[in-house]
Amino acid sequence: MSYMHIGKDFTPPCAQGKITGAARYAEDFRREGMVFARLLTSPVPSGMVRDIDVSEALRMDGVVGILTAEDLPAAPRPGVPALSNELTYVGQPILAIAAISEQIAENALERVRMNIERRPFVVDPLDSLVEGGPNAYPEGNVMMRGENGMELRSLKWTRQAVEDFRAGREPAAEFTTEWSYGDLEAGFAESTVIVEEPFVTAGYPHHSLEPRTCMAYWENGRCYFHGSLQSQSAANAPLSRMLGIELDQLVFINETTGGGFGSRIGPYPFMSIAGYLSRKVNRPVQVRITREEEFFIGSARSGMQGWIKVGVKPDGKVAAVDVIIVNDGGSSGSGSGSSSAGAISVSYQPTAMRFRGASVFTNTTPRGAQRGPGQNEMHAILAPVMDKAARQLGMDRVEFRRINAPDHNSLVEANQGPVTSAYMREAIDMGAQMFDWQAKINQPRRNGSKVIGIGVGEGYHAAGNNGFDGIVRIGPDGKVYLHTGVGNLGTYSYAATVRAAAEVLQCSWENCEIVRGNSDLGLPHSSGQGGSNTIFTHTRTNYVAAMDAVAKMKEIAAAELGGSPDDFSIDGTRVFKTATPAEGLTYAEAAQRAIALGGKFSGAEYPEDINDLTKLAVQKIAGTGLVGVAKDNLEKNGTAPGLAIAFAEVELDLDTGKYEIRDYTAVAECGTVVHPKGLSHGMNGGGVWGFGMAGFERHVYDPQNGLPANVGLYQSKPPTFLDVPRAMHTAAVNLPDPQSPFGARGIGEPAMGCAAAAIMSALTDALDGHLFNRTPVTPDMIIEHVAQNTYNNKSLKINTF
Amino acid sequence: MSVNPRLTRRRFIKGVIYSGAAAMSGAGVYLANAQSRPAAAVERLISINVNGRTRRVDVLPQETLAHTLRYKLELTGTKLGCNRGECGACTVLVDDVTHYACSMLTHSVKQRSVTTIEGLQSADGQLHVVQQAFLDELGPQCGFCTPGQVLATVALLKSNPRPTRDQARDALAGNLCRCGAYDHYLNGVMRASGQLS
Amino acid sequence: MPSHDVMPDIELYQPVQVEDALDLASRLAERGWLLGGGQDTYGWLKDRNKSPEAMIDLNGIEALRGIRETASGLEIGALTTLTEVATNPLIQASYSLLSDAAVKVASPQIRNVGTVGGNLVQDVRCWYYRRGLSCYRAGGNLCYADTPQGMNREHAIFGASRCVAVTPSDTAPALVALDASMVIRSTSGERVVPAADFFVGPNVDIRHTTVLQPGEILTAVRIPNTWANATFYFEKVADRNVWDFALVSIAVAMRESGGVIQDSRFVAGAVQCTPRRLEAVEAAVRGKARGEATAMSIGTLASNGAEPLTHNGFKMHLVDNLAKRALLA
Repeated sequence: MSYMHIGKDFTPPCAQGKITGAARYAEDFRREGMVFARLLTSPVPSGMVRDIDVSEALRMDGVVGILTAEDLPAAPRPGVPALSNELTYVGQPILAIAAISEQIAENALERVRMNIERRPFVVDPLDSLVEGGPNAYPEGNVMMRGENGMELRSLKWTRQAVEDFRAGREPAAEFTTEWSYGDLEAGFAESTVIVEEPFVTAGYPHHSLEPRTCMAYWENGRCYFHGSLQSQSAANAPLSRMLGIELDQLVFINETTGGGFGSRIGPYPFMSIAGYLSRKVNRPVQVRITREEEFFIGSARSGMQGWIKVGVKPDGKVAAVDVIIVNDGGSSGSGSGSSSAGAISVSYQPTAMRFRGASVFTNTTPRGAQRGPGQNEMHAILAPVMDKAARQLGMDRVEFRRINAPDHNSLVEANQGPVTSAYMREAIDMGAQMFDWQAKINQPRRNGSKVIGIGVGEGYHAAGNNGFDGIVRIGPDGKVYLHTGVGNLGTYSYAATVRAAAEVLQCSWENCEIVRGNSDLGLPHSSGQGGSNTIFTHTRTNYVAAMDAVAKMKEIAAAELGGSPDDFSIDGTRVFKTATPAEGLTYAEAAQRAIALGGKFSGAEYPEDINDLTKLAVQKIAGTGLVGVAKDNLEKNGTAPGLAIAFAEVELDLDTGKYEIRDYTAVAECGTVVHPKGLSHGMNGGGVWGFGMAGFERHVYDPQNGLPANVGLYQSKPPTFLDVPRAMHTAAVNLPDPQSPFGARGIGEPAMGCAAAAIMSALTDALDGHLFNRTPVTPDMIIEHVAQNTYNNKSLKINTF
Repeated sequence: MSVNPRLTRRRFIKGVIYSGAAAMSGAGVYLANAQSRPAAAVERLISINVNGRTRRVDVLPQETLAHTLRYKLELTGTKLGCNRGECGACTVLVDDVTHYACSMLTHSVKQRSVTTIEGLQSADGQLHVVQQAFLDELGPQCGFCTPGQVLATVALLKSNPRPTRDQARDALAGNLCRCGAYDHYLNGVMRASGQLS
Repeated sequence: MPSHDVMPDIELYQPVQVEDALDLASRLAERGWLLGGGQDTYGWLKDRNKSPEAMIDLNGIEALRGIRETASGLEIGALTTLTEVATNPLIQASYSLLSDAAVKVASPQIRNVGTVGGNLVQDVRCWYYRRGLSCYRAGGNLCYADTPQGMNREHAIFGASRCVAVTPSDTAPALVALDASMVIRSTSGERVVPAADFFVGPNVDIRHTTVLQPGEILTAVRIPNTWANATFYFEKVADRNVWDFALVSIAVAMRESGGVIQDSRFVAGAVQCTPRRLEAVEAAVRGKARGEATAMSIGTLASNGAEPLTHNGFKMHLVDNLAKRALLA
């Protein structure tokens, strides 16, 4: 299929501002009278603040106000309260002080007096699970279904169960979540190869490069809020609720977002500090978040501790998978164990499967979604496990993956539902050829202390939602205004998806203008730009909005020129009679007629089924042109999968435990490619994140005092220019998904999982099949292994070494 | 500095901007010192050359260049990613050499010339060759590290107009990109140096 | 605990003469803070974990900069940046061990301002200490790292004495290997201290890592021509290849003649609080030819006597491996 825009590179309009410094992030905005707020955060992992005395701080010249938990609506527990007197981790915000300078605000923090009553704390989920172990909250350590729905309860395992679990044996224990399908026992019975392993993956902070600074002020009863979210329009409803105002009282401004990776899908509670404080002191307030605070409040991946048993039949088909995952739920947030297990069901299509798990709270930072939450760390662990099974079968590792790969008929996840489409075998074949798998595995492997490892791994995440809204406006000047509520988080998907509307309208890109970044501009309701969904979800919303605009143009033309709307065609600048093209209206004329006609044509009326935010948006732009607006009611049946396969060649130095990634090739299976450069960014960036997971990034918490060791970037260790391959190769299968008008699905998260998995697979290959069963694998672990001080002899733990 | 509520709003803003972080205690300590200032203590009102212009600014002794640029000269293209010299988002050029603006004192650049991302375009608005190359290669993702990456490249090409890809990696190594757009930035460097058509 | 990152109030002096700087250093003593590149200054101040009253910025003192050939070797001004050290033709030609080490420090921007003096006198990186905990080194009476539960992967395997922090410097092992000496001035005169004696462990001084006293300024590093054009080997193993401090580093100088090693210096970084001379290795390789056989023969001499903590036993293997690699390169 040949398109005008879909599948073509273009320069997204925000790119120029990014290379000139003109792009504005939340922290770049100033407002007359603006004051600066700083946060006082918890020094203890668990406790209650008693007797706050802020009088001395308030008396300081230049201090304009203080916000405490009492100024905010009560927050649910466990939760992520913006400010709290109940302390559940080191770094939790207690109060905020606003002053005319940051320095005064920081000086004032030191004048706050308070007493803190300490409570027992725990930084490792198994230390909490074990009988007699401390709970992160006085009432318990897990959320379980009780008489009043989900409630905080105490879950305990016997000492024996915890010991078994750490040692890689199936524990006799209670769980909070469980699902299964198929006949597990029969599956294992017909398996000739059974692999059983324990595993641990570390949680770690997102550390988006832009700290989540906010600035807010109030004018005429409305709150103008500069924030940093992945989505533009997903902010408005929850943020206005958070601030206790009506939807139309919030102006959310978010032109550019410095990364999110799952930590900024929707408004986070800390945003309310700027809103409430600015209302309280009646001045614009900037809450600049420091890097350390970004660690504390910026969310983190949940670590997992697990056990897996895989059964494989002689023909290579995975017959049964049994998996147990205990997640570190941090001080709030739930683990992603079920998603981890779901990913296994997709990538290896086991005939029977069971998942059991629990997400246990610890006194560590709150956890939330982080790029492929659950799926990616699972794939990182899974790749070497499946490699071991393939080796025991005597089967090539790529062939083994090919045999088990999902296709159009596959059923996925716990509910074994259908997929919209899947071309994983095509992706595997393409990648193996690009990487030259056969030649690579047959090359000489040893050169002095250096040894070559070849790896392959897959990535998966559901990659498409539906039911959101689109708005396209044709101005009386003939220009096409593409309104989008998709955020500018660095993927360029805000621009890529509106090109679906340009495609439908057949108009040149030069004649289009993207309207975004400020909710007062009239922006439709959007998904949260999480879960790799944007490309699928919003090519659909733009498609339906543009189709609505086309239908309205044809209706206007038919009314004026005679005939029925079906007799008309469009060409990008005119709507005209198909039989007699000279008879027609320009887009500009059609828009002028729409304004004159009013009603649905001008946006004075709109469909009932669109979201309240979209209704407000249409009200704002009504009368300014021909308004195409619609909710995506297109058919969607099943999971739209984002799939990826990656191949890696590492050269590992046995002396130093360091390795270099000499080749990296990844293939995306995300339906039709919408924006090639955007896709290569997603695949390469995901690759770099995967290298971080496999080799560098982890939480370290001190069990003695509950302090995090790695709040800064140099301790958190995101990969640098010199930790990634010199060049990375990516490609895409580029076959259309039938349930997307332009065939496209998302890929952001699988792009990372496949990389982490390929590196883990390559390390195992380099070390004659040794399984580390953990992420990250750091030089010390490799050195210990080579020295035969097998790392796994130590008990596996999530937040400690 | 104490805040006089009778100051007009505009005066007040000026006060914030030009006295910046002059905490009441800080100013007090500072002035007390100033009265008996030893010969080498610094003057606060200084001239600095930024992007070819001489700017008079009231700078606290302890003030970082990043703070002066962002909060006093309104040059917000210099980003604060960590304020600790651990990311490179605040990279500026001082006499054509890359520096972390968060980890140097404004008082240390008095005799030197500072170039920020805002100073690269020509007077008529034309993009610098590095900016154009980064645009053509779509170097940025989220863009927060981009000003630093651009400036690190400008510095590299001044001393090494045709770097190898490896030399480019080494030169840009002090600029973290959390999005992982490294490959695209390197393509930008190679294009800017005329080695990629 | 406030999460600070704004520079607190502090006075700044910018002398242009060494004498003025010495005068200020003497007068302010412990209330003053010598400012070189500042890369181990601003973090302490922003965290408010160190609170001097004034910074004495040494950058304006031209006499403290530059690399000069002397009759007996080289003299490097303490304010010379690491970039200058890494790219200086004299150093690269005859003392490449030092330039190889300097180029491995942190990141390009940090090397552009970071000075060789600052790299040598920088404080330890133990994360407990840096978090502002009241440990021995901070004047308290316990160590959080040297406990069964301590997160001590980066800590010392030798020389523990209440404190188990390690030297973070990349250039220090190289300068010890080169038999460099440190020129230290104060208002009362000048003293020259051999590099090996310049660094001190917690058994000598728990609060400081060098012999520098309040009021003293490290003005220059002298490298004798003892090891000029010798066979050198430097390697730093760190998690990431930028920014990170060494897990273990090694700096080796070998004087070869007649196909055998006449004399050598093997110095390891990040295994104890000071650069560690591996004298047993030096003795074992004397009179032997570089190569596989000699490398194998040193076995675990480098790590002999190590007392690893819970999580840093790998450093024993790593230092052994690095010593061998120097003989194989």
